[in-house]
Parts: sequence; structure tokens; C-alpha cells
Amino acid sequence: MEAPTDTGAGDYPLPLEAYGVEVEIAGTPIVRGADLRIHPGELVAVVGPNGAGKSTLVRAVSGLQKPSAGIVAWSGREVGTLRGRELAKLRAFVPQRMPVPAGVTVREAVTIGRSSQLRPLGRMTAVDREAIDGAMGRAEVTRFAERALQTLSGGELQRVQIAIGLAQAAPVLIADEPTSALDLGATIDVAGLLRGLVDEGLTVLLVVHDLALAAAIADRVVVVSKGRTVAAGPPREVLTTERLAEVWGAEAHLTEHDGRTALHVAWLGSR
Amino acid sequence: MTRRLVVLAILLAALLAAAIAELALGAVKVPPGEVIDILLGKGHGGPNHQIVEALRLPRTIEALVVGAALGVAGAILQGALANPLASPDVIGVTGGAGFGAILIIVLFPSKIALLPIGALLFGLLAAALVFVFAWTGRNRGSVAKVVLAGIAMLSLFTAGTTGLLAAFPEKAPSAIFFLAGGLSSSGWENLTTTWPYFAAGGLIVLFLIRPLDRLALGDDVAASLGSRPQFIRLAAAVAAALLAAASAAIAGLLGFLGLVVPHVVRMAGRTSSQTFVVPASALGGAALLAAGDTLARTVRAPIELPVGPFMVIIGVPVFLYLLRKAV
Repeated sequence: MEAPTDTGAGDYPLPLEAYGVEVEIAGTPIVRGADLRIHPGELVAVVGPNGAGKSTLVRAVSGLQKPSAGIVAWSGREVGTLRGRELAKLRAFVPQRMPVPAGVTVREAVTIGRSSQLRPLGRMTAVDREAIDGAMGRAEVTRFAERALQTLSGGELQRVQIAIGLAQAAPVLIADEPTSALDLGATIDVAGLLRGLVDEGLTVLLVVHDLALAAAIADRVVVVSKGRTVAAGPPREVLTTERLAEVWGAEAHLTEHDGRTALHVAWLGSR
Repeated sequence: MTRRLVVLAILLAALLAAAIAELALGAVKVPPGEVIDILLGKGHGGPNHQIVEALRLPRTIEALVVGAALGVAGAILQGALANPLASPDVIGVTGGAGFGAILIIVLFPSKIALLPIGALLFGLLAAALVFVFAWTGRNRGSVAKVVLAGIAMLSLFTAGTTGLLAAFPEKAPSAIFFLAGGLSSSGWENLTTTWPYFAAGGLIVLFLIRPLDRLALGDDVAASLGSRPQFIRLAAAVAAALLAAASAAIAGLLGFLGLVVPHVVRMAGRTSSQTFVVPASALGGAALLAAGDTLARTVRAPIELPVGPFMVIIGVPVFLYLLRKAV
């Protein structure tokens, strides 16, 4: 476990620091002690087996789920003390798949994302409209901006969800399994988009299933096992053969060459 | 965008036409030109002036206010609960208001003026009970919990109403008008007592339009944008309860309107964006109730029939036509 004092950020508070986070859902402990820190401008992937508590941990630090213990601070401010609109300016949360209301266009959905910046009944200004266009441009959804959400493919909808998050203009974007439901081509699209956003200076926290994908795009991975964070660091150092065996119970190893990653798995065990 | 503006313009035109008809038609027919003169204060104080100003104007305003309130109540509940079947029925208001009205009819038949108060109070009481059960404990404020608590309360109060009517069958005739839903020409009195509830409900709705649009993208997106989903749902339910209970106090039980009008405007505008649906439901509900009430007063004039069934007769064909086109 990393010590709370070792923030490595000098005088500035980190975008997100979370220590000793515990979450109970309906009396069952899901997260039993997790630490999570993200530095400005990095892409962090939270990985772990099904049911390990990855999504719950990320929802808890995002303020979507109340932790039963622990400290979560965004830019040095305890999450419980932040008002909704303040938190919306510090982080955007992109769910795996949002419901799609009938007849709402891409531009309207991104506009709803921007509305987080307005006071109640406040009107959109030219700055807001620019931010909406900018978010659609960065997420590459401008081409189908006037189409209804129902008419989009899974990959297009995921990019719209990211555009909604970008319209919040928060320094950190959090996405829960953004590629889990996508085919190979759409996964490449979304992964490239997220990596590109980080290269432009955004900070991104992802929950990812696919370890090969995590290794390819993440600066750091955080491994969650049985509700605890058990390792954090560069993918190559953390996703070792021993750890894959220990945490996932898999006989597997990760290879990397020229930005191409692969997970070699003995699917049926050693023969 | 243009489509939405066209729909809003058509609804506004329908509302004005229905309001003029409500003012002009009846046992005494007043030419529309004279109606407009009277409204503009250019009347000559004749008997027509009296009829329009003292009898039909309050009733028309009641129809417009109640129609708009029920349309909006249905729209925000359907949005907040993400359920196309939501209407003021599902938060218990209708059941409670019916019970409160029948209670007055049975227990205090000499004080029938108390009926709107009884309907209002019991409508709000039923909604408050729904809130207590739906917004406490685990999963508080979840859609399933709200809907189930609402249906339970609706059943409970409806059973009470049926029980009272069965125990006092001689009171049934005076209860029918309320249960079917109808307006009366009783001057400004009803609006004077209920306007604060309409105003409070309407004010909450103004602040809810944007949060409801966020909620339409799911609880997680709404939370990402800084809204609290359970709180939005509670505020929407409170606003709908105020609007629907005040409406029941004036016009009895008109459940159909709140259920159907938002669907009609969504299908006509081809969008579920609340920025459009809420104002369009207000205009549509007002137009439908004023038109229905005009029919109810004129079909068997001078006998006035309850407006509820007439509204359904006008509303269902429009609804079915749009339903066929909407796939």
C-alpha cells in the first residue's frame, strides 16, 4: 500500500486521492480497502477480475456511491463537502452504456452535459456553445451532431457519451468499461480517442477488462482483487505472469512489441 | 427544431380556439367578436357581458389551468420515473383526492363547499405517504420503489372510496360528477383557494426541466453532471402532487389527461426533450380540457355533463392516430 504522504505532487494537490476506501452495498462489503491516486495528465486503468469491486471503487471515488469508510479528495477537497456543480467541474463520469431517450439529438445530449456548468435557470452563453462544439469536435461526433441518439451504433454512442463528459470541461474523465460492449474496430476507435485526449493534457481513469488493451493505452494500472487494491504501477511491472496467476487464476503472460500488446493465455491450462 | 416550434404554435392556436369556444358557446351563444370585445374591456355591461365575465371566464381559466397542470404533472412524472405509464395516479394523488371528496360527500353533505379542500388534503396526504415509503430505507427513491408504493396507496384509497360508496349508496349520484371529473360555473372561489398550490408546483417544475433532461440520460450521467437522481425524482413527485391535488380539488378526477397529453406531444414533436415536452404538455392539456368542457356543456345543454368522458372521446382518436404513425 502506498503511504498517504507519498503524493509526489509537490505543493499541488493531486486531481484525485483516495485512501482506505470501503463500500458496502445492501450490507455486503464490496470494496474492503482501496487506495487510488491519479496524477495530472496520466491514463490510469483499473483492472481486476469480475466482482473484484473495480466499478464500485471507481463509482465511489466519483461520488456516485457513498463509501462506508475512507477518504476521497478531488483537488484536495473531500468529496462529501463538494456541491454537485463543483464536483461536476472536477471530474466527468462516463457510464458503460447510458439510456437513450427518444428523439434527443447528439448536439442536445452534449448540451445537457454542458448544462452542469450553469446555475439553475441560467442561460447558455457563447462560451458554452463553443465548449459544446469543442467537445463534439474532440470526440469526433460533429459529423452526426444532428442525428438522434437512437440511430447511432454502439461505438458512435460511446463517443457521444465521452463528448458529454468533455462538455463538463473537467480535468479528469472517468469511464467505466467504455469498450466492453464494442467490436474490435470500435474498441480501437475509442481507445485511440481516450489516449489522444490524455496526450492533449486530459487525465483519464478507466475501468478495463481487457488486460492487453490496458497494457497498450495506460500509463499506470491499478489491480483490484477481492475488494482491495493490490498493486499499482506501469503495466509491464504490474501485470506479471505471477500476478496474472495469483489474481486471475490464469496461466498467461503479457507481451509488448512496437505498441502492440498481446495476452498469451493457456485457455485450457497446461497440457 | 422547426418541427417543435410548429407543434407549439399549433397547440397555442388550439388553446386559443378552445378558450374562445368555451367563452362563446353554451345555453346563450355569444358571437366570438363580442367575446373578444368583452375580454378587452370594451363590453357594454349587457347580459352577455355578465355571462361571459362572471360565469364563463372563471370556468375557462379553471379549464386552462387544470389542463395545463395535469399535462405538466404527467410529463414530469413520466420523465422522472422513466416510465411511460406514469401519471398522477402512480403517486397516489388521484386515489387520495377521490377518497377525500367522497368522505366530505358522505360525512358532511351539508358542507359540500368543503369538497375541494377534502380532495386537496387527501390527495397530498396520499402522496406524502408514498414519499415516506418510497424515499426511506434501502434503494430510496428508486423508480420501482416509487411506483410500487404509489400503486399500493392508490389501491388503498380507491378501496376506501369504493367502501364508502357501497356503505352509503344513496350518496353515489352526487359522487359521480367528481369521480368522472367535471368543472362547474362557480365563479373564482375555487381558484382563489387553490392558486398557491398551482403556483408552487409550477415554480418547482421550472427548476426541474433541465435536471429531468439530465436524468433522461440515466442516473449515472445525471450524477456525473452534479444532480442527485433521487432528489430530482422527489422534487418532481412533490410538484406533480401539488399540481394534481389542486386540479382534483377544482375538477375531480381527470387521470387520462396527465397520462396521454405528454405522449401526444412527444409523438407530435418527435422528441422527449423536456424543454419541449413540458411547455407543449401545458398548452396541449389546457387546449384539450377547454375543448372537452365546451362539449360537455353544449351537447345536452342546459344539462352540464362531466368533462372527463368528453376529454377521453376527443383525446383517444388523436392519441391512436399518432400512435399508429409513431410505429
